[in-house]
Amino acid sequence: MSEHTVRESINRALAEELERDERVFLYGEDVGDYGGLYQVTDGLQDRFGEERVFDTPLSETTLGGTAVGAALTGTRPVVEIMFGDFMAIIADQITNFAAKMYFNYGDGTGVPMVVRTTYGAGDQFGLHHSQSPIGWFQNVPGIKIVAPSTPHDYKGLLKASIRDDDPVIFLENKLRYEDEGEVPDGEYTVPLCRSERKRKGEDVTVVAIGGMVDVAMEAAERLEADGVDAEVIDPRTVVPLDKEPIFDSVRKTHRLVIVHEAATFGGFGGEIAAEVAEEALFYLDAPIERVGAPFTPVPFAENLEEAYLPDEEDVIEAVQNTLGR
Amino acid sequence: MNLNDEQRREIYENLLFARRFEETVLEAYESGGVPELPHLSIGQEAVGVGATYALSEDDWIAPSLRTRAPILMRVPLKEVTAGMYGTVSGPSEGRTTQHHMGSTEHGILGTTGMVGSHLNAAVGAGLSSRQLGDDRVSAVFFGDGATTRGEFHTALNYAAVEDLPVVFIIENNGWTEETPIEQVTAVEEDLIEFAGHDLPSSVVDGQDADEVLAATSEAVDRAREGNGPTLLEMKTYRYRPHAEVIQERRDEAEIKRWKQRDPVKIYRDRLLDDGVVDEAWLEDLDASLREEIEASFEFAQNDPAPPEETMYHVYKDVEVDRDGGVVR
Ligand SMILES: Cc1ncc(C[n+]2csc(CCOP(=O)(O)OP(=O)(O)O)c2C)c(N)n1
Ligand SMILES: [Mg+2]
Repeated sequence: MSEHTVRESINRALAEELERDERVFLYGEDVGDYGGLYQVTDGLQDRFGEERVFDTPLSETTLGGTAVGAALTGTRPVVEIMFGDFMAIIADQITNFAAKMYFNYGDGTGVPMVVRTTYGAGDQFGLHHSQSPIGWFQNVPGIKIVAPSTPHDYKGLLKASIRDDDPVIFLENKLRYEDEGEVPDGEYTVPLCRSERKRKGEDVTVVAIGGMVDVAMEAAERLEADGVDAEVIDPRTVVPLDKEPIFDSVRKTHRLVIVHEAATFGGFGGEIAAEVAEEALFYLDAPIERVGAPFTPVPFAENLEEAYLPDEEDVIEAVQNTLGR
Repeated sequence: MNLNDEQRREIYENLLFARRFEETVLEAYESGGVPELPHLSIGQEAVGVGATYALSEDDWIAPSLRTRAPILMRVPLKEVTAGMYGTVSGPSEGRTTQHHMGSTEHGILGTTGMVGSHLNAAVGAGLSSRQLGDDRVSAVFFGDGATTRGEFHTALNYAAVEDLPVVFIIENNGWTEETPIEQVTAVEEDLIEFAGHDLPSSVVDGQDADEVLAATSEAVDRAREGNGPTLLEMKTYRYRPHAEVIQERRDEAEIKRWKQRDPVKIYRDRLLDDGVVDEAWLEDLDASLREEIEASFEFAQNDPAPPEETMYHVYKDVEVDRDGGVVR
């Protein structure tokens, strides 16, 4: 084990997969010589050459369309979309093409492509460089959506995503690139479509996604001081969802709080709430609480953005609500 | 367009105004921070100033992320500066950054952070102009990078097919963020080669405001007379990195070479040579612009932060609460 940042973990995952499988290649705007806007692909072009790691024109449709075509014809493209907001531009290629080709072909052909993108507010980048696009894609069967929370998971899940035969949207939280954590030195992957219990607890289940897992973990620490024992579940792959561990946890704790960054209304939390209402309603001792953003675009002014983003206080308040405090 | 002395002085004022404004943004950013990450256009001022000068006041302008001068020419300075600070007096009362601002009052088409997604919107302004018969021309500014998106092709094609009153202005500064444009475009020399559509196009010296003005005036006249769009490629250069957080990796010599053709200096020297201004006038102008700009920063720095309800400004015709519910 050694300490690595999220950025390093992603970089190492890419390097290892480029090394391991010559069908893998990596491309996007400024990912080559410059090493990506967030420097995630730093050094990879030097190491693997311009044929494996390269820049493209400013065109997300070019990226999305060519990645689908490449994935259908024997390679395993990894695309970087600089900001998750630009996923709206390649939404056509993802929803109508990548997500549907396995269904459309009769011979088992898959679409092994990964679209890495950044998401999230907190940098005062304004309404078009801060969004969290999970909700835009969660209703599209055929696409996998992965949102890791620790350096360990970023690395293991990215490696698994690259090896996966389905199209994957791999979400990287902008505020988390510098986060450090323990990462195994040797080879490992983290399986897709498996949630993980990040914290064991008895009193309340908190399901948190991506960058909000840390927020939930910190809230749980503070709640413990108050005598509340929270269990935190990180789905890691948001779609398709590993539901059983969530149901099991709720059957044990009888309370559920869901935390994500995008707007609560129409967000992924609603889906989890509905699933639990169907499967475990009578185990609940309190109404389900959702923590998310208000139903507005991401505002720019510092105080507004702060009010917009869910934080520990919001999680603690929601947990207290489920406990009737 | 034949310019009298007063007009020439006015053009110079606008060039220097844009230059001093952005220099002040940079100073403020480096000394204590400006909340909006600056994407400075220093070095490219002649494109915006010359082109805006060719338009009439109620023509539409659809800016790129880097089109600063036209905004400064049309919008009160305090509002622009406050926009960078996200305070209540900014164009959206702090909801959004200044460089995406929209203002119907000032003829500025609001835009998105998706580079190039505004080209078809600008063609849409041309459609309105035709429907309403109001003779307004739509001028859309965009970087070289935007020419590699499909939007560029579809917008040019449709404007040309419909003979819409649109002027397409490429601010070709040679770089799309950290990638040299020639590395990602299959043209021999110029981006206008991409056009291939049935519309007039030309390459313009974007460092010379008079050249920009002349080329744009011709295009505006053509548009207003109902003869359709024009594509202009302004060769220019930004002195600063793409955005202030980004590492500079362009060649020192390249930057130096371009600085020798500085748009503000070219214009000043010409006015001096022609006896249109003298040193004393230039100094007075500089002092008064600096004062006005300083005052706007002081204003913005003391302008209040927006109250939380400012962000619940999502639908125009229905009241919706923070949880997305209709308020009855
Ligand atoms: C659709 C889209 N893709 C990528 C980006 C990220 N990005 C912002 S500016 C930029 C480069 C733009 O270059 P250019 O159009 O030449 O304008 P310049 O910055 O040189 O003025 C990129 C890639 C974006 N904002 N929108
Ligand atoms: Mg450019």
